[in-house]
Amino acid sequence: MNEITTVLGRAGLLTAEQREHWKMAWLSTVDHKRIGILYMVTALFFFVIGGIEAMCIRLQLAVPNNTLLHPDTYNMVFTMHGTTMIFLVAMPVLFGLANYVVPLQIGARDMAFPRLNAFGFWLVPLGGILLHFSFLAGGAPAVGWFAYAPLNETPYSSQLGVDYWALALLVLGIGSVSTSINLLVTVLTQRSPHMTLRRLPLFSWMIFINSFLVILALPVLNAGLVMLLIDRRLDTHFFLQPGGSAILWQHIFWAFGHPEVYIVAIPAFGILSEVIPVFSRKPIFGYEFVAGSTVAIAFLSLLVWAHHMFTVGLGHAVDLFFVASSMLIAIPTGVKVLAWSATMVGGRIRLGTPMLFCVAALAQFLVAGLTGVSHAVAALDWQTKNSYYLVAHFHFVFVGLIVFAILGALHYWFPKMSGRMLSERLGKWTFWLMLIGFNLTFIIQHFLGLAGMPRRIYTYPDLPGWGWMNMVSTIGAFFMAAAALLFVWNLAASLLHGKLAGDNPWNAWTLEWAATSPPPHENFHELPPIRSRRPLWDDSNPDRPDPVVGTKWQAETTAPEKNKTAVITFIISESGFFGVLILAYLFYNATPQPGPDTHNLNLLKTGLFSLCLFASSFTIWRSEASLQRGRPRAMAGWLAATILLGGVFILGQGLEYWGLFQSGVRVSSNLFATTFFTLTGFHGLHVCVGLIALLIVLGLALAGDFKQGPSPALKAVGLYWHFVDAVWVLVFSSIYLLPHLR
Amino acid sequence: MTTAQFTLSGWTWNPAVLVTGACALVAYVAAFRDHRRIGWFAAALAVFLLTLLSPLNTLADGYLFSAHMAQHILLLLIVPAFLLFSLPRTLSLAARPRVLAHPLLGWLAGVGAMWFWHAPALCNAAVASRPVHALQTVSLLVLGSLFWRQILAPREQERLSPPRAIFYLFSACVACSVLGIIITFSPVTVCSIYTMQSNDRFGMLQTIRMGWGFSPERDQQIGGLLMWVPMCLIYLTAILAQMARWFAQPASPTAKI
Repeated sequence: MNEITTVLGRAGLLTAEQREHWKMAWLSTVDHKRIGILYMVTALFFFVIGGIEAMCIRLQLAVPNNTLLHPDTYNMVFTMHGTTMIFLVAMPVLFGLANYVVPLQIGARDMAFPRLNAFGFWLVPLGGILLHFSFLAGGAPAVGWFAYAPLNETPYSSQLGVDYWALALLVLGIGSVSTSINLLVTVLTQRSPHMTLRRLPLFSWMIFINSFLVILALPVLNAGLVMLLIDRRLDTHFFLQPGGSAILWQHIFWAFGHPEVYIVAIPAFGILSEVIPVFSRKPIFGYEFVAGSTVAIAFLSLLVWAHHMFTVGLGHAVDLFFVASSMLIAIPTGVKVLAWSATMVGGRIRLGTPMLFCVAALAQFLVAGLTGVSHAVAALDWQTKNSYYLVAHFHFVFVGLIVFAILGALHYWFPKMSGRMLSERLGKWTFWLMLIGFNLTFIIQHFLGLAGMPRRIYTYPDLPGWGWMNMVSTIGAFFMAAAALLFVWNLAASLLHGKLAGDNPWNAWTLEWAATSPPPHENFHELPPIRSRRPLWDDSNPDRPDPVVGTKWQAETTAPEKNKTAVITFIISESGFFGVLILAYLFYNATPQPGPDTHNLNLLKTGLFSLCLFASSFTIWRSEASLQRGRPRAMAGWLAATILLGGVFILGQGLEYWGLFQSGVRVSSNLFATTFFTLTGFHGLHVCVGLIALLIVLGLALAGDFKQGPSPALKAVGLYWHFVDAVWVLVFSSIYLLPHLR
Repeated sequence: MTTAQFTLSGWTWNPAVLVTGACALVAYVAAFRDHRRIGWFAAALAVFLLTLLSPLNTLADGYLFSAHMAQHILLLLIVPAFLLFSLPRTLSLAARPRVLAHPLLGWLAGVGAMWFWHAPALCNAAVASRPVHALQTVSLLVLGSLFWRQILAPREQERLSPPRAIFYLFSACVACSVLGIIITFSPVTVCSIYTMQSNDRFGMLQTIRMGWGFSPERDQQIGGLLMWVPMCLIYLTAILAQMARWFAQPASPTAKI
């Protein structure tokens, strides 16, 4: 143990007094820098697992008619490989980088909510363990990373693998949303006073935009996973015949899945936007265009999911619209590629390891983008869908762009994190091995796909050309594995013996390089003045500073209150979750079906109980107003009334449920019952959570916590409570009122 | 009737629309001394007249739900936007009562116009009854103006700041897309009047169904998709314009930091 503490201490990752209990110091940390590193170490661990799975796949496919892996095992391996790489590697490592870098770049002391940050991180190991526990519980999921229905349903996947898969993704999804809310609130409220939103470094800007994407897209998947779990555990038929719709699963999955591609790609864009200017010794070309195109990409990514479903048969009309809108994404991404290229033109380019990785990422992303546009053409997509052409395309995105950008970022920020430089010699070896290996593996897969090789087959006959092309691909994979090993070796060796980095080894211009390497617990003792997007450039070149980026709108200089902001972002993400559940209810109940229906409900009774809930919105508003006027006793009274009214509503819901149970209605009776219980049940759960929060606030109020005046806690809980009521307005209208309007 | 014949004969010479257009033009010229932005006004007028007089209107009048949707979008989002562009930059829209200037009202106007008029009963009534149709047209123009006012008011001070404007536009887009998604994938007919074959005044039904391939189901799908995809692109254009506005402030060395 002594060696570890010595190494960590030498690298500045442990203070002297923490040496005794170094494990607890790291496990219980709420420091954004340590959490960031924990995220990255966890991702590295799962990267090794996912990498071993990838090597299994490539070994099995190296020669025709191979018998190395059993077909079932092969299905499990590629499912776990995809799920692991996306949810346990790409997202955690990017959250880790964001966690480490964003607060430093914006001159903050820490994230807005350090403990929520730790919670978000610890859900990653939990999700990882849940997912991999399936190996011990009868077999890993073998349904592909998007787990299409009805294969993901009990009759077709009867073992527990899919249940663990869904649970793990649910846990990871909740963690991602909480971390993204944290990042959003951090950027909005924790910036140093002069770091206006328009002066944000591009990495922080892109993480900011990306966090919106996460809180909008992940809840959609969570809703789908919940429905899948209800199907599997409670014998219902969301995605299963009779009655259910397998296509709905595809819609839900891709409504999440397409933004997901950008959720991992946009931070990579951010990395490129940091590294390329620094290593070209020029400011980024067209900051405004790079920043603005990110907004366009994020917006469009939410719009075009149906292009993953051209082969489903949605109809020519639908296909046509999504062909057009998908192609539009090429414009903002093209703007970015041009901006990065123009940044390099005329610059004094230093080909350090971070820059090598980023330039390769740029070139490979261009190829990925071109094959991507080809998939937007429905007619071509029908031919290449689910062939190795598609496999090659998305590996060019995920590895060619994202992994290369991440490796660039790790080489770039490692000196800041550890205080030591990574070996440049080993880094260059890593780069060249990776570059050769990656292109050997995946370029040839385009041709394999065009020759007709489908994805997800455990072996293939000895067709002309297939054998040697697959062999080349497998050889390439070994080069990549060697590069990965070399990288881990470089990390370990440099942590021990690396050259000391100093504060700003790359002569970069953003604030994180103004802190020491590694930064102290509180990040900065003193910040340089911030007038432009490159404060450190201005600091070292006072005779020719960057043009000042002004502040025009008041919103830029005053930070919003963090609790309120957090609840608003949480509400946005919850709206996505309830939106899917309500849409599913409307979809399944558009046409009447045999069995129980809305006639079994008691409109009058539930209407009265609903009035109680709506009234509670009024009482909580009065409660806030009382506190505003400095009358804490009245505030507590109104708060108690709110809790009472909410309790009455829950009681009413209980009565409604009891009546339904009495008349033999179960969640699995038919799709009306399923969607009714799912939607109202989740709303009821939210009411209960709200009641607990209100009780806590009431307890605090009675303990005399709010004597000082208005409290952000009450305001935040109040907002959440209004949201719960607003959802009930929609739910009540959809379930109880709509049938009477027909 | 063939498509070519229809393109020529499908125009409706609705005197009310023509008179309204002419009055609006006269009023514009009389009200404002500054005519530099009359091009925008002409554009608004042209889109308004084309929407309500061209064969698009004939199609929307009982033949195609999707044509109705196109009209709806043009009247709600394009004409009011051009109108606001045409106002002299010094004109203040600071409205009394002040509630008219509240962003929430503008948002509800824009989103509400979409949801309200696509309730099945109202959607059918707007096709079946002239007065309801006229009411719909007027309400779309008014509600659209209320919606865009927050973004395109002639005076800079009366507009939302860019970050707020982007949030305003994005959330409105989501709220409308949800309806578009519902209409696209709904297993039931939203506007049943378009599926009835009785009202074939131009003898076009054969051409539309067979020649153009617009079955009633596909017609509704395209209507939903118009609301979902191209309408979102209008919002996206506005969002990008807000980004441009945000970043456009010239850098001055004396700016307060």
